[in-house]
Amino acid sequence: MKSKLKTTIKNIIGKKTICHLRFSKLIYRKKYSKDNKIIGRIKAFKNTKIYYDKNKGEELKKLFKGIDVITISKDKKFYNNFDFLKVNCFTNSIIDNMCIDYSIILDNSFEDLKKSLNKNDEKFYLTELKTIEGFELLIDRIVEKNKSNKNIVNNLQNMKSKKADSLYEALQRILFINMLLWQTNHKLNGLGRLDLILIKYYKKDIENKTLNENEAKKLIKEFLETLHDFYEMKSSALIGDTGQIIELGGESINGEYLCNELTYLFIELMEELKLPDPKVLLRVSKKTPRSLIEKSLKCIQTGIGCPLFANDDVIIEKLINFGYEKEDAYKYGTSACWEPYIIGKASDPNNIRWLSFMNPLNDLLENEDLNSFTNIQDFIEKYKEYLKKYLDNLINQINNMRFEKDPILSLFIDDCVKSSKDISEGGAKYNNFGLTSVGLANLVNSICNIEEFVFKNKEMSFDEFNKIRKNNFESNEKLLKRLKNSEEKYGKDSDKILELANDLIKYTTDVLKEKRNYLGGRYKFGLSAPSYIDASKNVPASFDGRKEGEPFAVHISSDVSNGYTELVEFASKLSYEENRFNGNVVDFFVSPNFISDNFDKFVDFLMLSIKVGFFEMQMNVVSSKQLIEARKNPEKFPNLVVRVWGFSSYFKDLPDDYKDYLIERALKSEGNS
Amino acid sequence: MKVIVSNIQRFCLHDGPGIRTTVFFKGCNLKCPWCSNPENIDFEVQEYFKDGEKNVYGKEISLENLEKEILKDKDYYEKEGGVTFSGGEPLLQFKNIEPLLKNLKEKDINICVETALTVSTEIIDIAIKYVDEFIIDIKILDENSSYKINGNVEFFYKNIEKLLKNNVNVTFRIPLVPEFTVTEENINKIYDFLKIYKPQKVEIFKIHRLGESKYKSLGKEMMEFKDISDDKILEIKEKIKKLNIEVDYIKI
Ligand code: SF4
Repeated sequence: MKSKLKTTIKNIIGKKTICHLRFSKLIYRKKYSKDNKIIGRIKAFKNTKIYYDKNKGEELKKLFKGIDVITISKDKKFYNNFDFLKVNCFTNSIIDNMCIDYSIILDNSFEDLKKSLNKNDEKFYLTELKTIEGFELLIDRIVEKNKSNKNIVNNLQNMKSKKADSLYEALQRILFINMLLWQTNHKLNGLGRLDLILIKYYKKDIENKTLNENEAKKLIKEFLETLHDFYEMKSSALIGDTGQIIELGGESINGEYLCNELTYLFIELMEELKLPDPKVLLRVSKKTPRSLIEKSLKCIQTGIGCPLFANDDVIIEKLINFGYEKEDAYKYGTSACWEPYIIGKASDPNNIRWLSFMNPLNDLLENEDLNSFTNIQDFIEKYKEYLKKYLDNLINQINNMRFEKDPILSLFIDDCVKSSKDISEGGAKYNNFGLTSVGLANLVNSICNIEEFVFKNKEMSFDEFNKIRKNNFESNEKLLKRLKNSEEKYGKDSDKILELANDLIKYTTDVLKEKRNYLGGRYKFGLSAPSYIDASKNVPASFDGRKEGEPFAVHISSDVSNGYTELVEFASKLSYEENRFNGNVVDFFVSPNFISDNFDKFVDFLMLSIKVGFFEMQMNVVSSKQLIEARKNPEKFPNLVVRVWGFSSYFKDLPDDYKDYLIERALKSEGNS
Repeated sequence: MKVIVSNIQRFCLHDGPGIRTTVFFKGCNLKCPWCSNPENIDFEVQEYFKDGEKNVYGKEISLENLEKEILKDKDYYEKEGGVTFSGGEPLLQFKNIEPLLKNLKEKDINICVETALTVSTEIIDIAIKYVDEFIIDIKILDENSSYKINGNVEFFYKNIEKLLKNNVNVTFRIPLVPEFTVTEENINKIYDFLKIYKPQKVEIFKIHRLGESKYKSLGKEMMEFKDISDDKILEIKEKIKKLNIEVDYIKI
C-alpha cells in the first residue's frame, strides 16, 4: 500500500522534485567556492528530511533507520527502494561520478569488512563500524517487512556473514549497495565490469543446474530493469544523466581479450530492452572478436546510443604513462560518461569542472589591440597567455573546494581502510582530478578563419572583422556562410589542423602539469564535455561562424556528411599523451538505413577504426526526419531514445535547445544543412 | 601534371568491393540524358549559380596531392577496398594519370574504375595494366539508337573483347531507363550480349533525380523519364537469371 502511495507521489511530484533538486544543485555549484556552509544549509532547507550527526557513521545509521522500507511484491526478484526525500546532511562537495569495486561486496560479508578494519585510528574505525552497522540495521528492517519472501530474506541476510554464492545473490548485493549510494547523496554511480565479476557465479549456477541459461537471462534482465527504476530521481543534469554505466570486455595484462557469455548477454539484453539507462560501454581492442562487434552494432542500430566503444589499445598505454600502475590501468572502467577511472582505487573526480577554450579567446578579443597583430603565430602566442591565466584561475577555484567525509566510499575504495584515512582526506590510492573541455573545435576554426581573412587574403582589418563578429554577423549573412564553410576545419585530417589542435592541447598540458590538487594528486583533461550547450549560452558570436549563444561543437565531431573515416583518422592523430586522456569521444550520426544496407562493411569500418586508433567512439542512429517528427508530435514517439553526451535519454524528455541541436546535427550529417 | 576533379569522396561503400575513396574526374564523351553527374560532362572547371551565389564545379589538383588524398584512408582499404575512379569518363584521364596509377599499384592499392568503355583501345591497354576491378555500364547496344547518347557500339565491343581476353574482374551495370536502355530492341541486344559473354555478375539499377539541382545550377534541365514498373524490373531480373548469371538489383 505504502509503496503504491510512494509511486503515486513520485509520479505527481517527480519532475518537480528533480527541478528543485537541480535548482538547489545549481545554487550549490555556483556558490560553493564562496561559502560552503550556506549552500549546505540551502540544500538542507530545501529537502524534506535531513539526517545529521557529528559522527558521519552515526548519521548514516540514523538515515538507514529512518528511510522507508517497503514490502516487495511476489512477482519481483529483487529488493530495491530509493527514499529520495530523505537524505543525510552534507556541507561540502560529494565525491561521486565514479565506480566502486562491487566485487568487494561479493567476495566479502559485512562481517569480513568489519574484520578488515584496523583500530589504529579509533575515529576512523568507529565511523566505519557504525556505517556497516547501519547497513545491517537496514537489512533487518527490510527482512522484517518481507518475512514471507524467502529469496529476499536469504539474499540479504547472507550479506551479513557469508560471501555471495549465486548469481541471484550477487545481483541483489550489487543493487543493495548501489541503492545505498543513491540514498546517501551520491550521484552518477557506475556499476563496473559486471561481465567479469559475475561470470564465476553464472558458471557455477549453470554447472550446478541451479539456473539454466534462460533463467539467468531473465534474472539479469530484471536486474537491469531494477537499475532503471527511479530513473528520473537518479538523473543529474538532464533526465537520463544517471551515470549508471556498465563496462564490458577488455584486454587483460597478459594481452588476451577478456569477454564471456555475459558480455554478449548484457549487450543482447540492452538491445531487447531499448532503455536509455542503464548504459553500456564496451572495451575493445584489436583482439575483440568480430561477433562481439556485430552484436554491439545490432544494439547500436536500435538507436539507444550504446555501447560506447573505448579503445584499450590507446587508453591503457596513456594511463600507464601518466602514472597509474600497470595492473590497475588494465582494469580501468570509467566515470559516469567516459573518463577512464580506476575502479575501486581512486577518488578521481573526473568531471570536477569544465574548461572552455573559447573563454580566453573572448577575453583576448575584448582586451587587445587587434590591429597590432601582424601574423597568426603572434596571435596564437597571445592566446596562450590568456589561456594560462584562465587555467590558473580555474585551478585556484577548484583547489578551494573540499570534499565531504564519506565512510561508505572509504569502505569500498582502496586504500582507505588500509590506511585508516577517509577518501575525502586522500585515503584513496589515486587522487587525480579531471577536467573536461569544450570549444576546441570552435577555437581551431576561429583561428583558421582569422588567418585566412585577415592575414592571408587581407579582406579586412582584424578590427573590422572583430566588429562584424561582435555585431553577431548581422546583415553579413554571406560572410557568415563562408566562415562556416571554410576549407580547413576541425575534424578534417589535414596536417595544418592537426598541428594547430595538438599545439593548443599540449600547451594546456604544460600549464596543468605543474598543478596539484588539495589531495596531492594531479590534473588531467579530455576533449569531450557535457557542457557544449550550457557553456555556450551568453557567449558572443565567434569567428568560426557561430552566432551568439549557439552551442559549441560536440566532442570530437565534424560537419562532413559520411566523413566517418576522415573523422576517425583525425581523432587518432590527436595527441592523448601525458594528461590528455580524460575522455576523448568521437561522436557522429548515422542514418538507420545506412547501417542496415551496409551492415558487414560497417562492422569492417568499426574494426578497422579500432586499429586506426580512436580513443572512444559513440553514435546516434536516427534520421533527421524522425527527430523532426518527434519534435512536433512527442506523443507519437514516447520511446525514441537519443544519445546526448555520455548518456542516452528519451528524446521527449530533453529541453528544446538539445532537441534542436540534435536535429541540426542529424541534418548536417545527411548533407543538408 | 594536373587533373580536374569535381569531388573526392571517402568512405564509399557502393563503388566496388570494401571501403573505398572515389575520385570524380570531370569530362565525359557521352551524353546520357539520365546522367546523375551533369557537372562532370564538361572537361573544364565550370562556374555555376545556386541560391544566387556563384561557385565552381571542379578543381585542379596535382597528381601528387591526389595521391595524398587517396592514401589518407589507406588504413581502411585492407585487402578488398581501395580507390575508385569515376566521373565523367575516368578512362579519358588515364594517359594523364599513369604515373599516379603506377604509384598506387606499387603501394598495393586496389584500383577500380567506373566506365562506359567508349574509349580508344590504346587507353584500354593502360587500364589493363593497373586496374583491378572494372565496373562497366551497359547502356545502348542498339547501333541504330546509340547516337542518342553519343555512344559507339563498335568501340564498346572491341574493348570488351580485349578486357575479357585479359581475364580482368568485371562487374556489369545496367541503368534501367524505359526510353533508352529498356526499349524492346535494346534490352534484347543486352540479353544477347550477356548470353555471349556470360559475366559472373550483373547489377541493375533504377535511375534517380538527385542530380536535378545540379542541372539547374548549370542552367540546364533534366529530362523527364517514365518510371519503370516493379514488374518490369522483375521480368528483367528473371531473364538474366535464366542465363545463369547472378543479378542484383541495387539502389544507388
Ligand atoms: S557516361 Fe556516365 S558520366 Fe558520361 S554522360 Fe553517361 S552517365 Fe554521365
